[in-house]
Amino acid sequence: MKSFVRDVISTEKNEKKLRKDKRMRACFFTAALLSSSAIAVIVIFISMKGITPFLQEGVDFFSFLFGTTWRKDQGIYGVGFIIVNTLVSSFGALLLSFPLSVLTALFITKIAPKKLSAMMTTVIELLASIPSVVYGVFASGTITLLVSTLAAQFGLVTAGGSSLLAVILLLAIMIFPTITSLSITAIRAVDKDVELGSLALGATRTQTNFKVVLTSAKSGIFAGAILGLGRAFGEATAVAMVAGNKMFGPTFNLFDTTRTLTTTMLSGLKETTGLDYDIRFSAGLVLMAVILLSNLILNLVKKKVGNMK
Amino acid sequence: MNAETIFHVDHLDLFYGDKQALKQIKMDIKRNKITALIGPSGCGKSTFLRCLNRMNDLVDGCKVSGTIELDGNDIHSTQMNVVDLRTKVGMVFQKANPFPMSIYDNIAYGPRCQGIKSKKILDEIVEQSLTKAALWEEVKDRLQESAFGLSGGQQQRLCIARAIAMEPEVILMDEPTSALDPISTSKIEEMAMELKKDYTIIIVTHNMQQAARVSDETAFFLMGEMVEFDETKKIFQQPSDKRTEDYITGRFG
Repeated sequence: MKSFVRDVISTEKNEKKLRKDKRMRACFFTAALLSSSAIAVIVIFISMKGITPFLQEGVDFFSFLFGTTWRKDQGIYGVGFIIVNTLVSSFGALLLSFPLSVLTALFITKIAPKKLSAMMTTVIELLASIPSVVYGVFASGTITLLVSTLAAQFGLVTAGGSSLLAVILLLAIMIFPTITSLSITAIRAVDKDVELGSLALGATRTQTNFKVVLTSAKSGIFAGAILGLGRAFGEATAVAMVAGNKMFGPTFNLFDTTRTLTTTMLSGLKETTGLDYDIRFSAGLVLMAVILLSNLILNLVKKKVGNMK
Repeated sequence: MNAETIFHVDHLDLFYGDKQALKQIKMDIKRNKITALIGPSGCGKSTFLRCLNRMNDLVDGCKVSGTIELDGNDIHSTQMNVVDLRTKVGMVFQKANPFPMSIYDNIAYGPRCQGIKSKKILDEIVEQSLTKAALWEEVKDRLQESAFGLSGGQQQRLCIARAIAMEPEVILMDEPTSALDPISTSKIEEMAMELKKDYTIIIVTHNMQQAARVSDETAFFLMGEMVEFDETKKIFQQPSDKRTEDYITGRFG
């Protein structure tokens, strides 16, 4: 028999390739180290800047963390109500967006005809790629109008529509594509056999979708929720355009103005120095802690849902 | 049709798009027997099996014509709804497909879908079904644990228990042991022989010894046709068709 492959194989070359493997491993490691050290550097920098107001500028940590007023003109920096506002607006947005996103994802993956499904997937991806400042101008032009009209129905007056409700609606729209597209990916990855198994037991399409498909996809769906929540927590530009930056709180009234951690950090950042500048890093530190805790809570919720014990 | 017959199939044609996958199938499947469907890959035996609980409805471009009667009722008629049919005709798949839930919830799934909520009744269904599937002793202390923690063979028996929980008349098995080791396989075979007292079993298998060991009747499929259908003993000892003989003696397929 004529040999084609045997003659080409050279031990020397293969040894070279194995050495290359080792070099490549070092490459991967360096890349991973670089990216993760960036995170470490950010955390360390923010932390160091963030604690200076308490160590050097005489701000009381307790009254900072639980304070209900933020007035730079009086030098009062209380972030407590802002934490509550941030949680209310972000979880409010999640509450609105999550069910809508999951149902949309189910529709796109399981119910819509192929063409419509492909079209809608593209639309969702487009939505995800719109810059937040564009969402912001949209919100300040339309959502505020909607909110002030709605408020007028109840005989209320808003600050030109800038309000907690406007922030929640804006964030809900902004995180919708994130949660939806991750849910779509998760649902598409569900083993077809599991779905067939459910149908073969006489479960209807709807029962199958809710009890089996969503349960199987819940990991990915919750990853979407966590990313979406992260986006809601972290959004500054667009939120600043409709929040109204109230100086005290917390705000629970949907038609009242509000202030979130991000807008607090952002507004007037470039025109200030000293304590008013440094304290924004403290707010950033708090924001990171809030996000971390929220992710933990969502992960706990994930374990509880879907009968998985 | 006599009382012995549970499935009466006549002039059954099936097309996937333009391709004909089943040609004029005619079969009377007997109650409380194990019927084996054998034949080379792509011969239509699995397709035929999926006609019996209308799983082919889920395949795009699949067209079925002809008669399939379950207990004398046409399963394609408007009076028969597909959910009812599938509760009567359960199915076990080639690859064990437990749901991402606890062992308990896997078994309780079907009954719950039919609206059974009582914990007491569900407890009883779970125990009874697992016992029938010869799994109760192995899992009774870990019912609340994930079904994914079970071995492959246990998962497949769980899927059988899940089908049994619906109290079906027929259990369709699509190569249920092809991914299992010989010990797990023999457990499932033993169970099948036990189960036929209460249910009719129709099993697709690539394993000719398995067909010979467990089944009462065997049908040989080839290129979308049912070549021969008779008592298993007869098929394996004196097949009347030359093609059947060639296949079971390993001359092709």
